[in-house]
Amino acid sequence: MGEVIVVTSGKGGVGKTTTTANLGTGFALQGKKVVLVDADIGLRNLDVVMGLENRIVYDLVDVVEGNCRLKQALIRDKRYESLYLLPAAQTRDKNAVNPDQMKELCAELSQEFEIVIIDCPAGIEQGFKNAIAGADRAIIVTTPEVSAVRDADRIIGLLESEGKHNPKLIINRIRPNMVKKGDMMDIDDIIEILAIDLLGIIPEDEYIIISTNRGEPAVTNPVAAASTAYKNIVRRLLGENIPFMKIEQNDGFFSRLKKVFNF
Amino acid sequence: MRQYVTFKGSRSGLQLVLDDSANFAIILENLKAKLESAVVFFTHGTIVEVPDKVRILTAEQQEDLTKLLATYGLIFRESVKEEPIAQKNNVQPEEPQTLFVAKTIRSGQEVLHDGSIVIVGDVNPGAEVIAGGDIVIKGTCRGVVHAGAFGNSSATITANRLLASQIRIANLIARAPDHLEQPDCTEIASIKDGNVIIEAVNCE
Repeated sequence: MGEVIVVTSGKGGVGKTTTTANLGTGFALQGKKVVLVDADIGLRNLDVVMGLENRIVYDLVDVVEGNCRLKQALIRDKRYESLYLLPAAQTRDKNAVNPDQMKELCAELSQEFEIVIIDCPAGIEQGFKNAIAGADRAIIVTTPEVSAVRDADRIIGLLESEGKHNPKLIINRIRPNMVKKGDMMDIDDIIEILAIDLLGIIPEDEYIIISTNRGEPAVTNPVAAASTAYKNIVRRLLGENIPFMKIEQNDGFFSRLKKVFNF
Repeated sequence: MRQYVTFKGSRSGLQLVLDDSANFAIILENLKAKLESAVVFFTHGTIVEVPDKVRILTAEQQEDLTKLLATYGLIFRESVKEEPIAQKNNVQPEEPQTLFVAKTIRSGQEVLHDGSIVIVGDVNPGAEVIAGGDIVIKGTCRGVVHAGAFGNSSATITANRLLASQIRIANLIARAPDHLEQPDCTEIASIKDGNVIIEAVNCE
């Protein structure tokens, strides 16, 4: 039986889809058999980020409604043999599926795959409820912004009330320079409010935009900073003990002085 | 004033516990005063149940009760299940008990209780804690806290780190300043001379 992981955040645009694509690809690089499920019905993106849009024939709603077999809807990645995508329908909406159907689908997928990663839509409505229904564990993605952290907190509460405890946190788009100047929430502030375990920190990286547009997840690039961060997260999820990347906090005399006087 | 009417939080909404010894007219009067004193506490559409074994209401009395609750937007329903706790109330109305919550209250979550509330954990921004009595938070409070929600102006709010976005006691509301200083010790909020004030306690 494989493990079902949902990637969620509450707020939109914090990097759920990017994280799903990169973790999935990262697991495939480690030789795991992985399937990515796009639960964002009506606003699908994961296929684009993976560069698999033109291969979609059947989708998640077709599987749930019995229009095709699960195997027919799964798309094999063009780079990695052990990586698959179950795309969302674009012409339907979130109400086309219910949580029970998602549970059933996740159970079926976990028979076949070692890791099932579900890309959750933004929001807390039907789409969110569907996405988390079949998950064994949750990964919360947030950015160092007050609004994103607030929404992450709400999501953690909702997951708890669904009986899904101990989610793990990824802090995305950290800008070391801004943290250094004290212009960005730092990691400790975020952890203090959310009070959950940190899984990883992803630095802001322009390469993410390039890779998204090309349809090639950033982990495939050996030098990008975000790539290393995602690879580390994959290894942590597989049980390895990898220390967190240093956010260069070079505390020179002047920066300390600046902190004291708060400018 | 003796309390003939007590509200308790229940799974489906609120439970109304009536004192058997009192006359029905007094109970209605008492209930009205209580509803009037805490309009915020009683959200519109909340279902109010009366445990049936406690008091057998006549059809007429039920109708009066329904009407009164309806004016405050509450829905009256006779509870179906027999509540063992309610049985005890036959003898005397109990003082509202203190509710202990040992977890972090997160954004969008709400803790509502007739008596006092003790929270062992944080109250995060966007969360609400509303108590008929006092509120004690063993952790950081960043949300909205309302003590003495039925108009008890001697109620207090205590937190290890009191950084609440809003503090309400009885019918007074105090808003946090836009630039809040970090407190280093436990603080207590109470009403003094008609204002909500915050004082440090246990400070070295």
